[in-house]
Amino acid sequence: MTVWLHIVAIVLLASLGGALWRVWRGRSQADRMMAAQLIGTSGVAVLIVLAALQDWTLLVVAFALALLAALAAVGFVTSQSPDGAGDPEEAHPPKGWRDRGRNG
Amino acid sequence: MSVALDITLCALVLGVGWATVAGHGVFRAVIFFITYGLLLAIVWARLGAYDVALAEAAISAGLTGVLLLAAHGRLRRLNASQEVPLHLNLPAAVVAVGIAAGLGWAWFALPAPTAPDLSQALPQSGVGNPVTAVLLNFRAWDTLLESVILLAALLGLWMLARDHAWDKPLGLPYHARPGGVLASFGRVLPPIGLIFGVYLVWAGADTTGGAFQGGTVLAAVCLVTIMAGVLHAPRVEQAAWRAALVLGPGVFVLSGIAGAVFAQGFLALPPALAKPAIVTIEAALTVSIAVTLVLLVIGPPDEGEQDA
Repeated sequence: MTVWLHIVAIVLLASLGGALWRVWRGRSQADRMMAAQLIGTSGVAVLIVLAALQDWTLLVVAFALALLAALAAVGFVTSQSPDGAGDPEEAHPPKGWRDRGRNG
Repeated sequence: MSVALDITLCALVLGVGWATVAGHGVFRAVIFFITYGLLLAIVWARLGAYDVALAEAAISAGLTGVLLLAAHGRLRRLNASQEVPLHLNLPAAVVAVGIAAGLGWAWFALPAPTAPDLSQALPQSGVGNPVTAVLLNFRAWDTLLESVILLAALLGLWMLARDHAWDKPLGLPYHARPGGVLASFGRVLPPIGLIFGVYLVWAGADTTGGAFQGGTVLAAVCLVTIMAGVLHAPRVEQAAWRAALVLGPGVFVLSGIAGAVFAQGFLALPPALAKPAIVTIEAALTVSIAVTLVLLVIGPPDEGEQDA
């Protein structure tokens, strides 16, 4: 069983190579960001396998990563908007957004 | 088999580290650096340092990535150079190689440190997690100074604000389409993160977790709510936020003084009171760490580039 878990962990780590290649070659920035998200998902998987191998306490680390890995994507889409503080779903910032909740 | 696993992990860390500094383009380096932090978390997990793995995962996934991507976006909007010139900076290379060689020499030359045996002292500390026992009982002085350093870093950052922006809210004015994916994400993630962060602080007394890890998780979800436009960033003058910043160091110093008056010395904890004292200090520290990290990432008061 332990041998199998080691093999699974190694295969998962090796599969990161494909995503790393996408980060290196990219083409678009979104490609690179999505590859980083894929690496985050695989990282959670590796940590779960390591938890089974070493200590189930590691599930806490895996959970932290699963919870927070999407934050980089939020940071990415926000920084890509015209003013660096927006949302790609907004065609144009709504009128008066700059003053909303700012005067009180 | 475990050797093969460790070699694969080392090869990935070295490869990603090389790719971070070697390639052209700031954005690619940022993405590789985010990946690097994730791999380091796996390395710490592999080494059995679960508390460090947790801190590394929370910091690298939750905060550093957001910070670096925001900085990159800002460079792009200012039309700053995106290309990293790839020539050898000889003085920097010499210094870096010198430091690496010195560290390598120290590794072999110094006697192997003999860690003090905690198993005798741990029952006296009031907590079951040896990391928490060292951080908040045996070496509390270091932790107290570290909590003050975070505050000093924030003050240094606020000094970068322009005079006319001083009374404006901190950071960029974030906004999102109401009911959109980003706004929904800003409402779904925080409840889970809130429970998880509080759990980490509470569990940190006896197992993996702690004030810094919990505070980082809380900071990350608070950051999401601000970036999704659900919560508005505070202003420098708001007294409640300032109080939250100094709560942790303040409670820590007060407990230290209480130790000097009623127990053996400054920051000394009598074993009978150690557990409640540590939990109280950790709770206060968590609030301060979370607020400080959020304010560090969103930056000084700013009106956005259009007004500059």
